[in-house]
Amino acid sequence: MQSDTDKRMIQVSHLTKRFASTVAIDDVSFEVQRGEIVGFLGPNGAGKTTTMRILTGYLAATEGRVFIDGLDVFLQSLEVRRRIGYLPETVPLYPELRVDEYLTFRARLKGVPRRKLRARLEDVKEMCGLNDVARRIIGQLSRGYWQRVGLADSLIHDPELLILDEPTIGLDPNQIRAVRELIRNLGRRYTILLSTHILSEAEMVCQRVMILHRGKIIASDSPAALMGLFQGNPCVVAEIFGPRDAVLPQLKNLAGVARVSCQVGSEPLAGAGSLPAWNRFRIEAVRDEEARAAVFDMVAQNRWALRELSVEKRNLEDVFVHMTAQGETNGDNP
Amino acid sequence: MMVIFILFRRQLTAYFFSPMAYVTMVVFLTVAGLSFCRLISQSMEESLKIGDLLFGSMLFWLMVIVSITLITMQVFAEEKRSGTLESLLTAPVTDTQVVAAKYAAALVFFAIMCAPTALYVVVLRLFTATLEGMDLVPVVTGYAMLMLIGAFFIAFGLFASSLTRSQLVSAMLGFGGISLFFFADTFQFLGHGGFGSRVLDYLSSVQHMVDYTQGIVDTRPVVLYLSGIVFFLFAAVKVIESRQWK
Repeated sequence: MQSDTDKRMIQVSHLTKRFASTVAIDDVSFEVQRGEIVGFLGPNGAGKTTTMRILTGYLAATEGRVFIDGLDVFLQSLEVRRRIGYLPETVPLYPELRVDEYLTFRARLKGVPRRKLRARLEDVKEMCGLNDVARRIIGQLSRGYWQRVGLADSLIHDPELLILDEPTIGLDPNQIRAVRELIRNLGRRYTILLSTHILSEAEMVCQRVMILHRGKIIASDSPAALMGLFQGNPCVVAEIFGPRDAVLPQLKNLAGVARVSCQVGSEPLAGAGSLPAWNRFRIEAVRDEEARAAVFDMVAQNRWALRELSVEKRNLEDVFVHMTAQGETNGDNP
Repeated sequence: MMVIFILFRRQLTAYFFSPMAYVTMVVFLTVAGLSFCRLISQSMEESLKIGDLLFGSMLFWLMVIVSITLITMQVFAEEKRSGTLESLLTAPVTDTQVVAAKYAAALVFFAIMCAPTALYVVVLRLFTATLEGMDLVPVVTGYAMLMLIGAFFIAFGLFASSLTRSQLVSAMLGFGGISLFFFADTFQFLGHGGFGSRVLDYLSSVQHMVDYTQGIVDTRPVVLYLSGIVFFLFAAVKVIESRQWK
């Protein structure tokens, strides 16, 4: 039992947060294990920021309990805050201070002892690439550096858990790439919970994704598993040169094929089904590997030509749209 | 305690990082100096007591009220607006520590701002012919009362600042509230000469200053201001905490 609790960094049970007129979070439960990088994914207003604010002790829950490292965030708030590095969405910093001054203030505030201060400061500046701007005034830094100072602030007291609210928002593509790389590296040392509304980001950075919609978690799994779960049968796309009327029935007869549809080809003659032409087929199979091999064998036997044979990839975007659209319909008919 | 000191130092340096601190100080001291000059020239014709010379000018008190409004209006409103309150209150510090540190910093800034007016005493000493012409007791009690009243007004200003994310709203609330306290005796008519009038008279800072600048030490205003400070700081802590149950 003890070792079980030890592995859990975050434990949220039946968390509900109601504001005056709205329910921001509705009976949410989840766990995050030590060392995981978990992403909160959801459209704006899904309850990501509110959940994070409750986890960090900034807001109190209406119902439910939250444990961080086995400590109750409401009852042992200060203990919990020492273990958390939090980067709020707006990345609030004091613009009139220099980077070094700000980080020193934050370090002292978070209880970094004076003798360790210099080493800690050097560490986080190195990690976040801030050495060049250490003496600059924060207000004059670019958005990318501003973000990195915020990240350095969340790391300064060497917390066990990082909570990052939209860490790449407002950055240009190069900066986004750099920050993602940084987060991935940090994932080796810290447990990370981050929120984003960019799906590719969750896909790239996180080991596990929780999709939050209208205050509820509607899915929680690895990005790969989530995509597998919701794309229905795996699909193969094949572009075959041959008479459509002959190819189509043969494809349908293959073992393990559930459905075949033909997308009208790009060649001018594709319209005439009896003449050989390039046609794109979308083949829904039970297992994609077998379908691909079978399609190839079939084409070879008939001496048709094949110029594309691929598994149709779906990304989190599709999953997300699929799931939130479902939520939408449910919401309309209560 | 360490945390309070770190926050206190940050807040106090924040004052001196902004031009507003210097403008407030310069304008306050200029106006205070001018009204002191005016009282000196007035004392050529009629004899004025030293307490009146130092604290007898309404313009001086107007500047005290305005300065305190300016010192306190940004303290929480600005941190709320910029969102730094969130990073502050998710650090391992309690809301009470934050309020205490910010209060102490505002108070020290106010003391620094008023300190140069003590030079007036030196000026008076230099130009007073006889030693017995100078009574230092009203000076000491006067300054003590100035600090006490300032401390109370600052507590009220912080409370006003905690209510809003707009500095202007905070300033108006603070200025209005402080003025009402200061001039409470002018509203005595509301009590129709009965108990209410006595309460308003008891609350009025003007009356307290009149006593203290004559060297009369009354413990009632001390109790009033100290309890007022505790009350408004407590209220500010509760307002900050209210994010939790809103």
